[in-house]
Amino acid sequence: MTSLYLYAGWVRAWHWLNALLFLMLMLSGASMHFAGAGWLLNFAVARPIHNIAGILLTLGWIGFVVGNLTTDNGRHYRVHLRGFLQRLFIQGRYYAWGIFHNAPHPFHPSAEMKLNTLQQLSYLGVMYLLMPLLILSGWGFLFSIYLPETLFGLGSIWVVAMMHLTVAYFLVLFVLVHLYIITTGETLTTNLLAMITGWHREQEAQTHMETPR
Amino acid sequence: MPPFALKPLSAKTQRRLIVIAVVLTVLIIAYKVIYPLAFESYVGKTNALLTYDSSRELTKTQFDALAQELSMDARQRKADAMVRTDQKPFARRVKIEMLMNTPSFIRDTEPSHIKYFRDAGIRRYDGPETCLRCHASIQVKHPDGTIKTVATLDDIVNSVHFKFQSGASGFSTYGYDGRRVNSGLHKIPVGKINRACGIPGSFTWTGWAALVKSHSEPDGGTVTLRSEGCGQCHIGGNYQPATEKMMPIGDVPGEAKEGIDCLICHSADYDMNQRHVIQDKQGLRWNQDRSLRAALTVGSIRSENCLRCHQHNMGGDAYAHNAAAQSLGHVNQRILHQGAKRGNPFSPQDDVHAAAGIQCTDCHLPEGHKIPRGRKGVDLVANDLPTKDVTCESCHTQAPHNQSKYKALLNGHIARLACETCHIKELETDNVVLRDWVHPTWDPQEGIFEPTDIYRSGKPGKGFTFLWFNGNGTFLANALGNNPNHSDAYNPLMQQVARIDDPEIIAAVRAKATELKRQYPDIDVETYVRAATDPLSQLAPEMLAKREAMIQHNLRPVMNQGESRIYPFKLFNAMMYEDMSNQGPFGAMILPFDYASYYETGDAQASVKKAISDQIVQRMYQEPFKLYMMDEFMSYFGITDGWKTVYPLVDGKLKNVEPHWMRQMGTLMVNHGIQGKGRDCIECHSPDGVMNFRQLGYSPERVVELEATDIVEKTGGEMRVNPVTE
Amino acid sequence: MTNLSAKRTNMRNPDTQTDNVRLKGRHFPVRLSLINVVMLALLATAQPVAGESQATDHQACLRCHAMATLSYRDPGTGNMINLSVNPQVLSHSVHGELACAECHEGEFDRYPHPENRVRKTRSCVGCHEDRDDAKDRVYAFKTIDAEYAKSIHATSDSADVKGFSCHSCHDPHRFRASKVGEPLADIVRDDNQVCLSCHEKVRDPVSDPHAWLPNREKHWTAVRCLDCHAPLTGNGQRISHQILKAKDSNRDCVNCHSKEPRLLNRLYQYRSKADLANQGWFNKAIFNDAYVVGMSRNPRLDLIGLSVIGLTLLVLVAHGFGRYKAYQRSRGIK
Repeated sequence: MTSLYLYAGWVRAWHWLNALLFLMLMLSGASMHFAGAGWLLNFAVARPIHNIAGILLTLGWIGFVVGNLTTDNGRHYRVHLRGFLQRLFIQGRYYAWGIFHNAPHPFHPSAEMKLNTLQQLSYLGVMYLLMPLLILSGWGFLFSIYLPETLFGLGSIWVVAMMHLTVAYFLVLFVLVHLYIITTGETLTTNLLAMITGWHREQEAQTHMETPR
Repeated sequence: MPPFALKPLSAKTQRRLIVIAVVLTVLIIAYKVIYPLAFESYVGKTNALLTYDSSRELTKTQFDALAQELSMDARQRKADAMVRTDQKPFARRVKIEMLMNTPSFIRDTEPSHIKYFRDAGIRRYDGPETCLRCHASIQVKHPDGTIKTVATLDDIVNSVHFKFQSGASGFSTYGYDGRRVNSGLHKIPVGKINRACGIPGSFTWTGWAALVKSHSEPDGGTVTLRSEGCGQCHIGGNYQPATEKMMPIGDVPGEAKEGIDCLICHSADYDMNQRHVIQDKQGLRWNQDRSLRAALTVGSIRSENCLRCHQHNMGGDAYAHNAAAQSLGHVNQRILHQGAKRGNPFSPQDDVHAAAGIQCTDCHLPEGHKIPRGRKGVDLVANDLPTKDVTCESCHTQAPHNQSKYKALLNGHIARLACETCHIKELETDNVVLRDWVHPTWDPQEGIFEPTDIYRSGKPGKGFTFLWFNGNGTFLANALGNNPNHSDAYNPLMQQVARIDDPEIIAAVRAKATELKRQYPDIDVETYVRAATDPLSQLAPEMLAKREAMIQHNLRPVMNQGESRIYPFKLFNAMMYEDMSNQGPFGAMILPFDYASYYETGDAQASVKKAISDQIVQRMYQEPFKLYMMDEFMSYFGITDGWKTVYPLVDGKLKNVEPHWMRQMGTLMVNHGIQGKGRDCIECHSPDGVMNFRQLGYSPERVVELEATDIVEKTGGEMRVNPVTE
Repeated sequence: MTNLSAKRTNMRNPDTQTDNVRLKGRHFPVRLSLINVVMLALLATAQPVAGESQATDHQACLRCHAMATLSYRDPGTGNMINLSVNPQVLSHSVHGELACAECHEGEFDRYPHPENRVRKTRSCVGCHEDRDDAKDRVYAFKTIDAEYAKSIHATSDSADVKGFSCHSCHDPHRFRASKVGEPLADIVRDDNQVCLSCHEKVRDPVSDPHAWLPNREKHWTAVRCLDCHAPLTGNGQRISHQILKAKDSNRDCVNCHSKEPRLLNRLYQYRSKADLANQGWFNKAIFNDAYVVGMSRNPRLDLIGLSVIGLTLLVLVAHGFGRYKAYQRSRGIK
């Protein structure tokens, strides 16, 4: 049995706040987007919720970036190129094959490296590509009059709206996959508990530990 | 014992319940019995069960005879109107007879209540009680289309026709202190019952019903009793006005409600000769026509019904076509008031709408017993429907002129002029402008002393003037408004209504004063003329300065409200005895007269003494009345330091009481007596026109422009509104 | 000759031609039909009038025309003919700086004015398009004229549109463009009032042609009549003057609410500006009143997005099922 303190207090706080905001944004966003479909929030209610949650999400994201810059949490997002493809392959093979054959988990988090390569890559994409796009397009919506009338020959509002929508769909996709992947730890709740308590606990000895350079 | 039965109450609870029940009973008794008795003894008045001689039970035969007569009358009238007149008289008579006996004609023409009363077995009219047997509730239709069912008696008792005051808000009247009447928290009952002519309500109390001994000279000076008093028109109250409604608690006693005269408004065949003062063992009160004849002819309300009372304040009592004034009473004939209040009759002879068959209620469209008087009100008159319009425009639209070739320009004037300004060209000649109550004169015809009318005129600029009016008025009935240029130059309370410059009027006043001097040698003619034509001269300089400041500070904002238009206003001032302890820049509290002694002796002072000896007036000079309403009332009156309870009668002598003209003329709105043909342009638009553009606040350049008709002159000749040929 | 009002005059008077008349001392060409010129001459000889015709300046006219109720009811139709000009509104209107005589030439200094003067219809295009700065202005009057020619107001043979001209909607004495910052509801109301002043039946609850429209009241307070009753044009004009027939007008919700973004773009930006001007930055960020239902709607993207999400869910379920099987197997082995 191993115990690793992987998630600092602020990371967990940010994570759960972010999770909550994501839920609110998804619900209120869908309510506005599909306004009129009966099972959603009232448009007039959804609008301020979405706006407020969006503003908080922006603040949270800035906090996250600042936190990563100022603490050592940032290193988990640094991509180590050596053996990158191989690690990616191993991780992919595990999810696609190994996991069905009770193969041992190819990755064991350490204080040095808590994210497996696939995780790392998707988080990088989400946090440093999709989130900024989402946030920018969201604010673009709010203050569209400061944008040029057209972008790429299209009405700028439309461009902003489509970008926001596309990114939103990607992020919904991410959330779904993320929620599923959580269950792929050693036990179903290993990863979930880790993000709640900060401690990553595993029964098995670290037989397959990779130590990146 | 059933499972859910209540447990027997504990002794303690029982005791408590008994105490509560006793307290409630005591409170109810106190409110229903002790309070009314205490109120009656406080004001020194009483109520009693009323009987009327005309309310008699008919036998079945008498009923049938009466029904037959009324039915025949109605059929005869209608058939006369229907059958052509251009035929042989005999042929016409036969046709009329045939028609009168046609069943459908009988059914449609006969007064409907004949059948109702016959079916219900009613052969005697007992007042409201009889009406309420069927009409306990009525449906009231509101302008928004909603229909409410209300209790008829409550509806009428709470209407201005019954109370003639209102304790609620909704007044368009502003105090000289700048506050809108009853817009604040302390609401006081105000309205016609207690307008400031006479201590609030005093005149209605002391002059409700009086029997006057007249000595008509043509009749050889024999004593004849005559009826006089406010109660001749006001349906609420019997021995006194129904002032219970002015109190914060309490209700009008049942006897007073039983005294309501339904038929004077609702009956087509009401005998105004029954309307006179009678004396019973409780005191003096007004008789009514409660005959079955009147009751059976109840029908939809027509102008004639309203005019039984209201022609008095429009055409006047002495107006030739005042029908009620032709039926003064079988006994104790009512005294006709000479000198018309407005000289502005509503009758087919003198009003285009009356001539066209338009009924009062066509414009004053009632909601139940609440009758609208429009949003505009210059005098302190309570308004049952303060938000309901009564306007020319509601029928005539904003573009009423369709005949004249100048129609567009005429319509253009509507933005600035009320219709009345052109379409009331003159008032009746007996329209009274200046009335002296202090120096009565003997009327040998009537055999009584009457207040002396110093000046009467129906002419523009003399009997009435033109003022800007936005619908607001002051506490002493001065129209408020301003030239849309919002200039301070327009200041009627220092100019138009506070000074008479017309040399013709001044000469007439001087002549009348000289005439009065023969009877009252104390009169100094020049002083008299000055006070009558320049009432501000009665004010001390500091009072005058305060007045100007109050006008600018308190009234100017009210004058500038809304959209003002020029309206004609009948002018009126009176000399009366005033309680100088309660004087302000706009006047002092006027004291009432006792009608009987005034008319009989012509001793105005003695008459004042008698009137203010009345218990109710003494109460008015006491602390409870002061706190309840008079301090607030005086603030509206322009006196901010409250009501001085210095009773002006000490040891039988008047103390600090002086005869004065009001400090400004009252301005009464005139809206009837409408002429189809309006004024010609030149009547106003010329240097000597009827309108004083300068005093109306126009700039000198604009005055020149307004006095010229240069645009029109180019068409070659005088501009006439209704050219003979197009 | 693209001048519509003149064209209409021509239709009524086929034997007349139009001409340009340049007013004395004014660089302002006014088109008027020859018949009027002839009439003018006839009148001048028949009734010699003192004073110059130019003497009718602003003030003299407003002496009567400033009367707010200067109007009459047309004996033929019973309709109110309003002759009133509000001096304040006039001075704030686009024509506020012009003298009356620049548009109304003739003998107006007498009252009543000669009938034929009063009836004359002035045209907008004639003045506006011939001026030097025509290129700089926001509204291209030639384009407007071309659009108007196709408008139901010009093509209908209904008696109601007889005499229809620019002025039927744009009172030249009060017309001015709406400005950002004015409450949007006011702009919409004022704009629609122009239409409703003739089309009052639209509000009649009994025969309401908009009964099909969901949230009808909301639309009426938030959208201009023109937004549905005029086509979207790509010519840079803010709004087309080609008013459509009822059956050609937009009845498709998605035209505004999702598919065609341009209308939305126009509306949203306008409301955003108004929001910012009236509520400030913070409130704008929180409430964003400008947001229009369906702003981000794009059926294709929605289809793709929802399909991918659905597929992903399927894959995840399948994956989970596989893991469960594996887990059962492992248990069996043990």
